Amino acid sequence: MDETTQKLFNAGNLRANAATAAQRRNITIDPITRLEGHGKIDIYLDDKGDVERAYLQVPELRGFEVFCRGRPAEDMPQITSRICGVCPTAHHMASAKALDALYQIEPTSAGRKIRELVYNTFMLEDHALHVFILGGPDFIVGPEAPPAERNILGVIGKVGVEAGKRVIATRRRLRDLIAYFGGKVVHPVLGLPGGVSKPLNAADLPQFRQLAQDAVGFAQWTLEIFHQLVLGNPDYVKLITSDAYTHRTCYLGMVDAQNRVNFYDGRLRVVDCDGREVCTFAAQDYRDYIAEHVEPWSYMKFTFLKQRGWHGFTEGPETSIYSVAPLARLNVADGMATPLAQAAYEEFFKVLGGKPVHHTLANHWARVVEMLYAAERMVELVNDPEITSAEVRRIPTAVPRTGIGVVEAPRGTLFHDYQTDERGVIKSANLIVATGNNAARIAMSVERAAKGVIKAGHVTEGLLNKVEMAFRAYDPCLGCATHSLPGHLPLKVRIHDHNRQLVRELVQE
Amino acid sequence: MPTTSSTVSVSSRVLVLGLGNDILTDDAVGLLVAREVRRRLGDTPGIAVRETTEMGLTLLDEIVDCGSLILVDAVQTGCVPPGQVHEIGPDDLPQVTATSPHFVGVGETLALGATLGLAMPRRVRIFAIEVADPYTLGTQLTTAVAQAVPEAAERVVKLARSWM
Repeated sequence: MDETTQKLFNAGNLRANAATAAQRRNITIDPITRLEGHGKIDIYLDDKGDVERAYLQVPELRGFEVFCRGRPAEDMPQITSRICGVCPTAHHMASAKALDALYQIEPTSAGRKIRELVYNTFMLEDHALHVFILGGPDFIVGPEAPPAERNILGVIGKVGVEAGKRVIATRRRLRDLIAYFGGKVVHPVLGLPGGVSKPLNAADLPQFRQLAQDAVGFAQWTLEIFHQLVLGNPDYVKLITSDAYTHRTCYLGMVDAQNRVNFYDGRLRVVDCDGREVCTFAAQDYRDYIAEHVEPWSYMKFTFLKQRGWHGFTEGPETSIYSVAPLARLNVADGMATPLAQAAYEEFFKVLGGKPVHHTLANHWARVVEMLYAAERMVELVNDPEITSAEVRRIPTAVPRTGIGVVEAPRGTLFHDYQTDERGVIKSANLIVATGNNAARIAMSVERAAKGVIKAGHVTEGLLNKVEMAFRAYDPCLGCATHSLPGHLPLKVRIHDHNRQLVRELVQE
Repeated sequence: MPTTSSTVSVSSRVLVLGLGNDILTDDAVGLLVAREVRRRLGDTPGIAVRETTEMGLTLLDEIVDCGSLILVDAVQTGCVPPGQVHEIGPDDLPQVTATSPHFVGVGETLALGATLGLAMPRRVRIFAIEVADPYTLGTQLTTAVAQAVPEAAERVVKLARSWM
């Protein structure tokens, strides 16, 4: 075939394949999924029918850089909080911190404390949502429970209607606090360069003090439930510590001056697979420590430790792959800054055999430890005499150039990096989101799960669930990794033979 | 783009709720249909029109106490041309998404609310507009989807009035 004919042939082929794929798709229209957004896993078998490689693909969100270019930097906290409906507050706060850096201005003390109060409230709310609603079906109901029970109603069945009411009501009160300062949760108007837009009125303080106190009780109660239902079950503990869900990588997370976990501010710290410190660095130096690797099969960028160089998807003492999220934060820290969280932290490492813990599924437990810290930090902040100060903002005067802001999002470290002209108009904008930081380790987890369930061309039943569990523990914000839509990703697995021909397609809606 | 809300109270008998993301091209269509519905209805007593860019469990906060619920949203099935309006009744909704622990859908939200003893709408209808591009940051609908807005709005208005 000549080149033109070949091109036409290929194009026709693509269309035919797309049409066939569309017909075969098992479609459920449920508009809260809103968009198709399948997580796709492509599995390639070798000539013996064993897994050669398995790749995870997620839908890509396009045009972020183009959309931002030419806009005032002050719009970025609103724009970035709108690209992800799951963690708007994390994007908003990282962006506000990037603006501080851009205008070289420190927020006032009260402004910083209000930001931290809102941020810890958000972390608690998001973690609670994950423990009870997203991860709960796996852990509270159980990974071996019948599929029909593995949902939020199954969780309510286990913990009781009153407990369910408590979760929903607490979550609502926490969101009301966020809305008090920022208006809408998805479109918060709170963080400004040099502080925040609204002080806390002293007359409103008592209700927030009560909320913070109740939040501590709520976090303690969550830990009790976790103890009873998860740690009290030897099968769960066996699953958490099983090889299938264990990877010896490095870890990255933010710590305060005493190397304790901090979600809002601090230095970034990296430990290796034996728990030894590899480096610590300030947010604005991240490009010297973190680099991005690209693979031909994915548009995702796989971050790695720059000074170690890219050695592929490997684990062990030499690996440059690191992980973020609750487990990573506990692994990089020397402890927690509040007493109840510290006690829970000590128990965590005692039960799981010391630092660092490499079991991906331990993220669920680490999340509960962090809920305690977030709630205790809320109590500290609402009892701080400065919290009702009217001095919530400093007006910037410096000429802007570059601004880098970092926070610990619920799912891990989140970087915002903006370049502007001297008027503060965006010239370029880049984000490294939590799941990007975790991308390499997630790829390893998916491949290992696939290898465990496909042998000599035979696909074990339950493949979808096992492969899904492999990346679900990282918290499924895969949409966010490519700035795409958040939420649930129905999973599609395509298995190709050694001639790269599609031989089987499985869809989990 | 400003997001506006009707001032009609939550306990109104009929709630029209537009869902979507106003900076993701076609994903804004549910919000835009809601705005058009509000324009056509004006201040009709007993009908509230709202928009939200949030997802999942937040829906519970929005729909509690409304008597009847009409949702408007974007959907991409790939089976019909962009701009086509799917109309989905409660019988077509899975009550519980059995194999998807990481997802709270409409059916599941209604069942959860009922289990917790919250007042859930007695009637639910969903209008889902098939979209072409929900993955590019942008504030303009694609042509076919933009053309579908008046028709979708008219169908929502008719149903809302008939439910009063």
